[in-house]
Amino acid sequence: MAQMTNHVHKKSLWKTILQYKYFYIMVLPILIWYAIFSYAPMYGVTLAFKTFNYREGIFGSPWIGLEHFQTILTDMELRRAFFNTILISIVKLVTHFPTPIILAIVLYEFSRTVARRVFQTILTFPHFISWVVLSGIIVNIMSREGIFNQLIVMFGGEASALLVDENAFRPILYITHIWREIGWDSIIYLAALSGINPELYEAAEMDGANRFKRLLHISWPGLKSTVAILLILNVGQLMSQGASFDQIFNLYSSPVYSVADTIDTYIYRTSFTTGGDFGYTTAVGILKSIISVVLLVTANKIVKKLGEEGLY
Amino acid sequence: MQLKRSKLITLVACTTLLASLLSACGGGNSSNAGSTSGNAAKNSEVSSSVDSDNPYKEPMEISIAFWDIDSEISKIDQDPIAQEILNKFNIKIKPVNTTWDDYAQKIQMWASSGQLPDIFAIDAIGTQYQKKWVEQGVVKAIPDLTNYPNLAKFFETPDIAGLSVDGKQYTVPRRMFPSVDWSALDRMVLYRWDLAQKAGITKEPETWDEFKAMLDAIVKQDAEGKKITGLTAGQVKMLGGFFWLYGNPLATSDGSGNDFKWVKEDGKLIPAVFSKNALPALQNMRDMYDNNLIDPDIALTKPDVAYDKFASGKAAALLAGGGYINYDQQIYVKRWKEAYPDAEITDSVKVLKPLIGPDGERNHAIFKTFWSESYFSGQISDAKMERIMALYDYILSPEGKELLTYGKKDVDYKVEGDKKVMIGTTSLTEKYPTRMFFKNLVSYETSDSYDMNNPTISNEKIRKDAVEYIDWILENTKVPDYDIRLTYMSTATKDKFTILDHDDLLKVMLSKEPVDQAWEKIMKDYKAKGLDKMIDEVNAKAAEEGMN
Repeated sequence: MAQMTNHVHKKSLWKTILQYKYFYIMVLPILIWYAIFSYAPMYGVTLAFKTFNYREGIFGSPWIGLEHFQTILTDMELRRAFFNTILISIVKLVTHFPTPIILAIVLYEFSRTVARRVFQTILTFPHFISWVVLSGIIVNIMSREGIFNQLIVMFGGEASALLVDENAFRPILYITHIWREIGWDSIIYLAALSGINPELYEAAEMDGANRFKRLLHISWPGLKSTVAILLILNVGQLMSQGASFDQIFNLYSSPVYSVADTIDTYIYRTSFTTGGDFGYTTAVGILKSIISVVLLVTANKIVKKLGEEGLY
Repeated sequence: MQLKRSKLITLVACTTLLASLLSACGGGNSSNAGSTSGNAAKNSEVSSSVDSDNPYKEPMEISIAFWDIDSEISKIDQDPIAQEILNKFNIKIKPVNTTWDDYAQKIQMWASSGQLPDIFAIDAIGTQYQKKWVEQGVVKAIPDLTNYPNLAKFFETPDIAGLSVDGKQYTVPRRMFPSVDWSALDRMVLYRWDLAQKAGITKEPETWDEFKAMLDAIVKQDAEGKKITGLTAGQVKMLGGFFWLYGNPLATSDGSGNDFKWVKEDGKLIPAVFSKNALPALQNMRDMYDNNLIDPDIALTKPDVAYDKFASGKAAALLAGGGYINYDQQIYVKRWKEAYPDAEITDSVKVLKPLIGPDGERNHAIFKTFWSESYFSGQISDAKMERIMALYDYILSPEGKELLTYGKKDVDYKVEGDKKVMIGTTSLTEKYPTRMFFKNLVSYETSDSYDMNNPTISNEKIRKDAVEYIDWILENTKVPDYDIRLTYMSTATKDKFTILDHDDLLKVMLSKEPVDQAWEKIMKDYKAKGLDKMIDEVNAKAAEEGMN
């Protein structure tokens, strides 16, 4: 019976494809593009189980089993980089994720259209400056002669080199990340808020609901599903986007490696400074991807359990 | 019918889109040139009228990866000297651009995908990947140099001769200096003598204590009211080149992490960085930092920022690379002339002579005599390799060197006695825009600039100081004994071991712990990476090879 259903299902799928064949043909180039440029190169992951030989290439390089993964377990610096990546990513998620939501609500609720646009533009602008440029600005601000230290001294404090201070480096990462991204990330929430029917607000106001009540019972339910989807996406990108390579690479120095070195910066340094084996760095990359997938699936499940729609 | 036609059009459009997408993305090079530019076409047409016994009668195209070669080669048609060289060897250059930001990544990528250009420039000595290139035939060995006497001479300097693997050389290092004594130039400290005098200092410093006292006086006096700081540095990589000179000079490194030298202590060979002389040097550095004699922002400094700070009176001293050439170009030409138009720079800025350390010696930094190297793809033919060797040999020959340094005899310069006198005022760089590319392709020969005849150092007073300085160094300092073969020795652990001493120095400098504790932590990290194993391996191999 089950077989029959399956057969019928397959047949109907084929029929559907035939029926919409031109749409499928239009999708075909994209599928081929993905196959060639995104999936075919994945054969490179086999390098994680090989030692790279320049003459033989990826296919011809000799297999060495799990040796690279064993080295990962004994590599103290990599272990530290893993820890830093996870910690920086999670703290960034916790500290940054709510801020654009709050900003969007504040802008939407408490400002007129023109003011909202002005604020939004000002706050979005830093997103368009690269970390290379921004880091130069941050280094200047944080230097001994910089404005930050001048203010500290003005209020009776003592100037210090914050970017080389192990205790100060991570908070600087979190704060500067929020500063750069808060405006940009709030756009999608503002869009969601704008999609809510204004009549709902008017009706609530007529019924005597104050601003907070309107926020709680109209704005938040309207935002919830967007927040859930973005949360899943953010969790999925934790290991790469979270501990942003550009930001850390341009701001860190050896005195803060212990708190700042992430998997990406570590791989970069070992690959191009000391010339590590490509197989080893591939193995590290795979491990990172596996963790990302696990985080993504977990976040999706949690969101679904909370009654929202997940990614899949 | 109309509907069918529109569907057909959609189908054709999709197919075309796909085809163009694939051709755009997949339009790789079938040759071994990596990402080339269209500039190759701008090379002059190779002369067809070559006589029959000309060894270079077969025209040849040579692909070269070099820093910013695209812009260099774009001017090759306007350069008569370049044309002369191309015609002489019957070659055409196919440029493969690299930049200072991406060269290491690009070359490693080309090496791993079999797309290396015929010649490529990189600084890879001692790295794991360079060792693999040699082992796995990625780079071609240099042939017998009997016919190339100028090139053969190159390999006589001990640190270059020591690069051979099983008796074969695989690279032509880009030589800067004739001996390691000249390394003194590559970590030079400039200081503001005018501000020192204003702060009451009357004698140029000769010892570490005098140097520290001078910095202290300048910082405290702050004569120009700019909140002046102490010593700053062009790059953190340079720190070791100065602070190890306090009694542990063999620990000085070029910053690559692979050029560490070995000393024998308590009957055992160890990397000089881990000598018992390390702690006093570290303590001296830390004291300087704690007493505000070092720029507090030194960890994040960049060359231009440091040069600005020094030339604008915000730093009392500057640790910089590039010797007097850099001093002339970066400090004098670009900054000093504008900041202090009425002050003679050589009266206001002095170059610190190597200080007398606690061991009573005047130590200076000790590096290699070269920086970066030419490699040749393992895929090129013997004939092409011979042609490249001929080109390299010519550039190193007295004739080639003079042509590329001074231009054409009796056109650009004339000889009067033992002097070369330039004719006319047109800049050689404008007249022969690619001449320096050809010179630097093979060798920097920075030492040639330390000659009153050579116009590279533009300010004549700085040039005079430069010549006197290196003469003084050669007469008054001596290089401690060390065996460069140990630096190049290959063992399983050593091949993967790097000592980035500048990172360690920074950690100690900025640590809040006592110096010995901070250093112990660093040593512990190195031990976890296999320091003891590496030491044992090197000692065993050195004993085996009679180097102990």
